[in-house]
Amino acid sequence: MIRTLASLTLRALLNRRRTLLLGLLGGLIVVVAAIFRLSDPSSEESMRFTGRLLANFGLAVLLPLVAVIVGTAALGSELDDGTIVYLLAKPLPRPLIVAVKLVVAWLLTALLVAVPIGLAGIVGTGGTADLGLAYGAAAALGALEYTAVFLALSLVTSRALVIGLAYVVVWEGVVAGLFAGTRVVSVRQHALALADALAGEGGVPAELAVEMAVLIGAVVTVTAVVLAIRRLSAVELRGETG
Amino acid sequence: MTLLTLAGVSRWYGNVVAVNDVTFEVGPGITGLLGPNGAGKTTLLHMMAGFLAPSAGDVRLDETPTWRHPDVYRRIGFVPEREAVYSFLTARQFVLASARLSGVADPHAAADRAIDMVELRDAANRAIGGYSKGMRQRAKVAAALVHDPPMLILDEPFNGMDPRQRLQMMDLLRAMAAEGRTILFSSHILEEVERLSDRVLVVVAGRLAASGDFRRIRRLMTDRPHSFTLRSSDDRRLARALLAVPEVESVELRDGVLTLRTGDYGALTRAVAPAAQEADVSLLELRPADESLESVFSYLVRR
Repeated sequence: MIRTLASLTLRALLNRRRTLLLGLLGGLIVVVAAIFRLSDPSSEESMRFTGRLLANFGLAVLLPLVAVIVGTAALGSELDDGTIVYLLAKPLPRPLIVAVKLVVAWLLTALLVAVPIGLAGIVGTGGTADLGLAYGAAAALGALEYTAVFLALSLVTSRALVIGLAYVVVWEGVVAGLFAGTRVVSVRQHALALADALAGEGGVPAELAVEMAVLIGAVVTVTAVVLAIRRLSAVELRGETG
Repeated sequence: MTLLTLAGVSRWYGNVVAVNDVTFEVGPGITGLLGPNGAGKTTLLHMMAGFLAPSAGDVRLDETPTWRHPDVYRRIGFVPEREAVYSFLTARQFVLASARLSGVADPHAAADRAIDMVELRDAANRAIGGYSKGMRQRAKVAAALVHDPPMLILDEPFNGMDPRQRLQMMDLLRAMAAEGRTILFSSHILEEVERLSDRVLVVVAGRLAASGDFRRIRRLMTDRPHSFTLRSSDDRRLARALLAVPEVESVELRDGVLTLRTGDYGALTRAVAPAAQEADVSLLELRPADESLESVFSYLVRR
């Protein structure tokens, strides 16, 4: 039952051209790291550049972009096109549907983001794995929080993709940059704080304490999951013709 | 025996009332839900299938409310009107996934059986995205009956089917009803409902205008004269005799067809034979002329 649900979700996600384009976007970060290596940088320069690349492109652009597209589509596309009826008409506990969809969306996002970030870390630093591993792990955990939020958002509004993108660009990109207090509720800041803590000296200094980031991140994730379950349990299907 | 019960069910969207205080029961056999487009059929079906919360009232499958009780889907198969399917799956994969998600013990055998029932075996390994509307419809039906549910709810199941597929689907539904299943389907096409189901639920503007055997419903419409056509050994003589029968409102002999109208169905059927006998005319046939579902329906919709 779980396997069938997971495989349906994964096939639906992979069937979308958007998801495949995201794979190419992931490749871009590795390419940038490789081009940087061509300039034969010092080890100090390598660490600084690669850290910034992983933070400012990997965690700040690649991660939210992949997460918003995958997270809002995991359940949202079925709600949009009406195929959700085939899941709702089965004796499946609604929390199970949410859990399986979230895990698939999370793992796919993590794969599309953490792997390229890890690889870019290794390439950019000229063969050391520490920075890539730290940012990759932070990306994987950040992916869980992001996908939970976007999956819940897709059950709240049919414009989840637009609102999700607006959150990433406006809130995380602009507002959190201007007002330090708002960074507490920025998933990007949670991931950056975690990456900084995991990377030790090589990381880009984060604005948020890691303990706070983990705590708020956990609360946001759990709240999003609970909201998603409640919304899915109350989803109503309306006819086209009445 | 599976019984679906609606008690005082209403559903409104803001100020718009889509379904208004509907009460009925659906038991084994085929029941047709009939109504013009926009009458509230789909809203009603979705409430029955547990996809929509009633704003008032109660919908139960046996003892269990259908809303927010996913376990009822072990006993319900639902075929939605919307065409959307997982177009990237083949019909076999779609039906198999449906079997697995329903917790069927042997999903492969169940999927094969369901695919055979809808006669889709030859095309079962092709992606549904390339199917015609009728084939898609059959794939949806196979997915809905793969777990062998005692109740099947179908929203406009004949949409997009060609005449042969229609007949085949009707035979399938009849066979399933003969096994004691409860089958409810909606349609706005009278002919389909008339051919398939004796029991109808007629929905007009969100209200249940009539329910039961449509021939009986017709007979109960006492404010509208019933028409009969007659054949006899001497129609002209019989017409004269019938004019003397108090229950007869009018007699018409046109193009060789004798038609009479009455407000009292029962009394007339009892009076015709003695009148013919008295006039020394052999009565060959007495046939209700407007007992079709169409006449019932147009009457109810106009009212």
